[in-house]
Amino acid sequence: MTDGMRTSASGMIAQQKRVDVIANNLANVNTTGFKRSRANFEDLLYETVQGPRTTAAQGIVGPMQIGHGVRLASITRIHGQGGPEVTGRPLDIAIEGEGFFQVEMPDGTLAYTRDGSFSLSDSGQLVTSGGNALVPDIVIPPDATAVTISETGAVSVTNGMDGSMIEVGRLELARFPNPTGLLALGGNLFGETVASGFAATGFPQEDGFGRVLQGTLETSNVEIVQEMTDMIAAQRAYEINARAIRAAEDMMQSINDLIR
Amino acid sequence: MTVPSILTTARSLAFYSRQQEVVANNLANASSEGFKADRMTAQSFDQVWPEALMSLDLRQGTVRDTARPWDLALESEGFLVVNTPDGERLTRGGGFEVDQAGFLVDRDGNQLLGREGPIHISGETVVVEQDGTVIVDDARAGQLRVETVADPSRLVKEGHGRFRAEDPLLAVEQPRIRQGAIEDANVDALTGTVDLIRIQRAYAAGVDALRTLDGVMSVITDDVGRV
Repeated sequence: MTDGMRTSASGMIAQQKRVDVIANNLANVNTTGFKRSRANFEDLLYETVQGPRTTAAQGIVGPMQIGHGVRLASITRIHGQGGPEVTGRPLDIAIEGEGFFQVEMPDGTLAYTRDGSFSLSDSGQLVTSGGNALVPDIVIPPDATAVTISETGAVSVTNGMDGSMIEVGRLELARFPNPTGLLALGGNLFGETVASGFAATGFPQEDGFGRVLQGTLETSNVEIVQEMTDMIAAQRAYEINARAIRAAEDMMQSINDLIR
Repeated sequence: MTVPSILTTARSLAFYSRQQEVVANNLANASSEGFKADRMTAQSFDQVWPEALMSLDLRQGTVRDTARPWDLALESEGFLVVNTPDGERLTRGGGFEVDQAGFLVDRDGNQLLGREGPIHISGETVVVEQDGTVIVDDARAGQLRVETVADPSRLVKEGHGRFRAEDPLLAVEQPRIRQGAIEDANVDALTGTVDLIRIQRAYAAGVDALRTLDGVMSVITDDVGRV
């Protein structure tokens, strides 16, 4: 019964973790380019009390195995597309389809993001809202009056003097064999890991990369209704495990009372 | 006469205590993907002690859409086959990933097996058809093995959602695989709660019986034979 209590406790811990993940999803319902996570659970090892055996009356019967609860197997990030939100701001860029923007971290390494709310640095470079420069560099000259970004990622500026269009660069996207394996760095950034595999880069609308949409942001792919129903399910599962602990405790109590 | 009855009651208490653990484990795994509940019953063979029997509840769990292309759920009998370091294992759990080398693997990195070996993904769009055919960029990349054993209720659970077969594997005639979906545990919270109460009360009744038998014993040892 003590084992049973530990089993139920593992169930409560699992549901607690699930609520933690749901809470983080809900907190980021308005975060640009946020990807929701899902907690995955699996059963723990089994104690085989008796293996499969042959009985005279029933023939072969199955093994007798007692399970010892549940554990958090993984937290999977669901890289599904978020909805497009038209902002009209020229430096807001959403990716529709596969791919991440590459940005440079302060230590010189690369990080990846779907958050395309860019702005200009003091030197005219395109940077993320966190101030990380886009890779490869795109510099908007100071005399430019308008920026146009095509769906294939070509960035053109309109010269203020004569109104001519000049292409100043092209956006590059990166993608991974296993995006689920990316490490969330906070600040809407992801880092490459052994699990994600190496980044392959390319241009939008080529080699299966998505297209880029100017004046648009990708909203969070969290759906409030789904998270809420998951939360209710987690709460009920938590309660039922607590009840199982109480039942085991009651059984122990009654056997303890036997000794006079 | 009373000593055997005390033993019988003690055995039934041990049985209920085990059964409580089994129900607790089912309930703890209410959120585990592809989990199959255990059932523990007792049956009397040859008019001796009732013997505890366990079987696997193989009823279909609810299939829930996730929109994640690597989530595979089975809507028919059978299991997917993964290649672990200890040999081939069966699983109903459906959150797969693509590893660095491009193979479809489970969360512990075990390769998912098709009829012609592991499934290698190199391409952009992956479609898994109902019969398990994997199509990568309009080209066939393999067909997933969906197999079972003659009596699946005798499969041995290994944890991590995997089962070990002691008998030869047989291909399932008409498998139904759904891509972008996951099978929930087939644990019924209502039945679980009712079971908990039933076990708790049966246990309490057993304890009461023990107390009564103990009283009878004490009468025998203390009073009988006293002049």
